[in-house]
Amino acid sequence: MVSTDQKTDVKEKEADCPVVVAVTSHAVFESGGAEDPDGLYVGGIAFPLLQALQKVNERLLKENPAESLLFDVILITTDSQQQQQSSRITESIRHHGLKVSRFCFSNEEDFMENLLNNNVHLFLTTNRNEALQGSQKGVLSVLLDEHTASCPTEQLRVLFCGDAVVQSEAGPALASKQAAQSFSAQIGKMRGRFGLFDSPISIALVTSRGGRESCGDALRTLRSLGVNADEAYCLAGVPRGPIKRLLQPHFLLSECFSSN
Amino acid sequence: MVKMSLEPVQVMSGQVAELKVAPSSNGDSAGSWEGKREFDKDHLGLTAKPKPVTGRRARKVEGGVFFPKPENAVTVAVSSRVLFRTEREQKVFEQQGVEEYLRYQIEHENEPFAPGPAFPFVKALETVNARLRELYPQSEELFDIVLVTYNHAHVGIRLINTINHHNLFIERFCMTGGSSPIGYLKAWQTNLYLSADANKVREALTEGIAAATMFMPEKMTEVSESQLRVAFDGDAVLFSDESERIFKAHGLDKFFEHEKENEDRLLDHGPLKGFLEALGKLQKKFYAKGQRLDCPIRTYLVTARSAASSGIRALKTLRAWGLEIDEALFLAGAPKGPMLEKIRPHIYFDDQMFHIEGAAEMGTIAAHVPYGIAQKHNSKHNTSAGK
Repeated sequence: MVSTDQKTDVKEKEADCPVVVAVTSHAVFESGGAEDPDGLYVGGIAFPLLQALQKVNERLLKENPAESLLFDVILITTDSQQQQQSSRITESIRHHGLKVSRFCFSNEEDFMENLLNNNVHLFLTTNRNEALQGSQKGVLSVLLDEHTASCPTEQLRVLFCGDAVVQSEAGPALASKQAAQSFSAQIGKMRGRFGLFDSPISIALVTSRGGRESCGDALRTLRSLGVNADEAYCLAGVPRGPIKRLLQPHFLLSECFSSN
Repeated sequence: MVKMSLEPVQVMSGQVAELKVAPSSNGDSAGSWEGKREFDKDHLGLTAKPKPVTGRRARKVEGGVFFPKPENAVTVAVSSRVLFRTEREQKVFEQQGVEEYLRYQIEHENEPFAPGPAFPFVKALETVNARLRELYPQSEELFDIVLVTYNHAHVGIRLINTINHHNLFIERFCMTGGSSPIGYLKAWQTNLYLSADANKVREALTEGIAAATMFMPEKMTEVSESQLRVAFDGDAVLFSDESERIFKAHGLDKFFEHEKENEDRLLDHGPLKGFLEALGKLQKKFYAKGQRLDCPIRTYLVTARSAASSGIRALKTLRAWGLEIDEALFLAGAPKGPMLEKIRPHIYFDDQMFHIEGAAEMGTIAAHVPYGIAQKHNSKHNTSAGK
């Protein structure tokens, strides 16, 4: 772990709290509530991502059984049908080996309240409206699509987009800059728990438009948040598509670098 | 290398006299370079109209910088270890491990690296770009230099500082943090990849990307600052290794016999053919503006073949490919070192470490193309591994 400031690390270790990740049931399971032969829900877009989050937790605990900086995954659903069949959801979760600490059943009005009450740091959804609402409330909301989330790597791959103007094809990772920065700092800290190789998290930075200076600035910004990127790509106008396909990120963050 | 004859070195420059070439009978060959990485005339668009680049005349325009599209540019990817000198850091990595290596890099972040073996070559590419921009301000047909490294992004700021310090025009880079850069090389439509690590170079070659391994010579002789000079070996570099196989298996006489019999049969492509082609297309842009004599790109063939015999097949092949080479030097087996010392290329490509070492002894910057039958016989040099 490369650390430029050991003292702060030690102090902050005592104050580490979990990173609460809220994910909608529609993202976890196939939309429409598709079922497999056992009547359980079939894994959806966010599935590999959740597995990766879990892997990170396992490795964190392996390094330090008393670790408190862990991902805390809660499942949110506003789907009344699913709520009626709550046992099916819990069964499906268990069957797929996912670890969810809480289930939040709410209706559409209370849904945002739930996010805030649960101190959610990251909200994952496949619904654009939900993502928008989340960000308006100041919660870092990531809109998942089939390109970003369903990548086969076991390693959790986080991609920072260094140009503020750049957004993912899936739609922006919306939020106040602050929410994004604090989440990034948490990710950075988690990354710091592992060595350079064989880490369950990998952090990449991409700048799309500007030249090397803009990438340098982005690297410095990340560093100021306590994030040490593993990989950096300065594209300077080269089409992002092929590069993104190679990088296979689970999700993209760009709000840390916005000017507002 | 056996001295093949007492023929004096024959230097042939400029346009070679019209050679009669039989229709190509290459058919399907064993060569793996057939059709791969063909530098398509249409894509480089010399005959087509240059794509209009709106509002981008100068290099830096209102916060936007002029970046050519990969399909239009000649992309040269260089690793940090060949562009700069990183021996000290390498030692830290080898002796104290990767964590200490990165800590060291960050600690010395504001100390720029010194120029490495690929540095003069990159500077020369930029000189050509400057001349191209003067003549074709809107064109994207330029050299695009990309830094591609296995380093972690922790080293990024030091690399950027170094690029700034040396005033290099490198705006694109790729730090893969340990994973293979091959996918990115392909996405960037890389025309040439230079690295210090033979394994990575071999990987690139098998993927159809022209690549060569560079080494830090003890001394680097001065090279031209106004003209890019690129020298190529023939067999197993521009051409396939088919003839070299004959030589290695059956000896010199058989080699001569074979070449004479097959004089009108084109040699197969070698890994660097595409790059020579790319250079040729840029050269033509200067010729089109009446700058043939003053062209800032000059290419050389430096081959052990003989002018009067085995060399003919090489020339005919180049001719059939529509490739011009400015000077063809047929050494007939004589050592290449002294000739290269006269030429002073910014880079010399050869498939045999014996020649690479000979060149380096005289201060020529040579790059090894680990391709073909000669690799089984390369015993002297230990390839360097690592970042």
